[in-house]
Amino acid sequence: MLLPLFQALNNSALGAYMTNSTYGFAMAEVVHLLALALLGGTVLLIDLRLLGIGLRHQTVARVARSLSPLLTGSLVAMLVSGVLLVSGEALKCYYNPAFRVKMLLLVVAVTFYFALHRRVVAKAAITPSLWTKAAALISLALWLSVGLAGRAIGFL
Amino acid sequence: MQFLLHFCQWLYASSIGTAIRESVYLFPIIETVHVLGITLLVGTVAILDLRLLGLTLRSEPVTQVAGQILPLTWCGFAVMFVSGFLLFWAEAAKSYGNPAFRLKLLLLLLVGLNPLIFHFTIYRRVGTWDRSPVTPLRARAAAVISMALWAGIIIAGRAIAYF
Repeated sequence: MLLPLFQALNNSALGAYMTNSTYGFAMAEVVHLLALALLGGTVLLIDLRLLGIGLRHQTVARVARSLSPLLTGSLVAMLVSGVLLVSGEALKCYYNPAFRVKMLLLVVAVTFYFALHRRVVAKAAITPSLWTKAAALISLALWLSVGLAGRAIGFL
Repeated sequence: MQFLLHFCQWLYASSIGTAIRESVYLFPIIETVHVLGITLLVGTVAILDLRLLGLTLRSEPVTQVAGQILPLTWCGFAVMFVSGFLLFWAEAAKSYGNPAFRLKLLLLLLVGLNPLIFHFTIYRRVGTWDRSPVTPLRARAAAVISMALWAGIIIAGRAIAYF
């Protein structure tokens, strides 16, 4: 179903540039890694705070309010550099099972964050519940599995 | 330097080094831990640096943010050190002459000096600027240097595989 999209990306000028340039792919990889550090750091600090670890002297709401722009910003940097990386080897990615699993997990993780996690955080500020901790654990597990699947792309 | 080369060759040829290198799963598993561990080490350092720059957690005191985040950073450091050393163990003889690896070690040394200097200079008077949303110039300089060095370490680390 999505094959035409990946074929178009492969045949696009961007795809040609990413495949043929000496530094294009390596640069996108570096941006992807640096953004990973910040995305992972913010996710960890928010979720660990929900679990009562780390920034405990600050309220959940304050930690989340301060860190969520960093989370969103680094997520955007990861998506942009990720599209660049995919365009350099679009068809290889399309047929790579780890890539497919990663995209699926990414959609679930991002949806979970924007649809549920933020609401749980907003509620946790008033009355912390078991849901708060469950949401933190689910979030950590989802982002970790996105990272693991991403790492596996290169091995398959 | 001859001694270091021999040490690297000895590590490389040791049974543990050989086992990691020749195992189908061991090397990629350790590598994955090393890559994802970046989030716990560099991610937490970056957030502390961004606090010093007044770009996040502005209303929280610097000492509180540092005191609560640094234990996590040290956990990240332990994960990175152990996984990094195991990767080095398996490839020591190759790493020795690898320019990216040498640059990475140099940057790691510098990134260790930075907080030491910071701690014994501007941080001694942290009481006067603990609650400032934006910290004094020298603290901000330390933050920028820290982030630049860590970015360099990640880039050099990634580059090891290209040589």
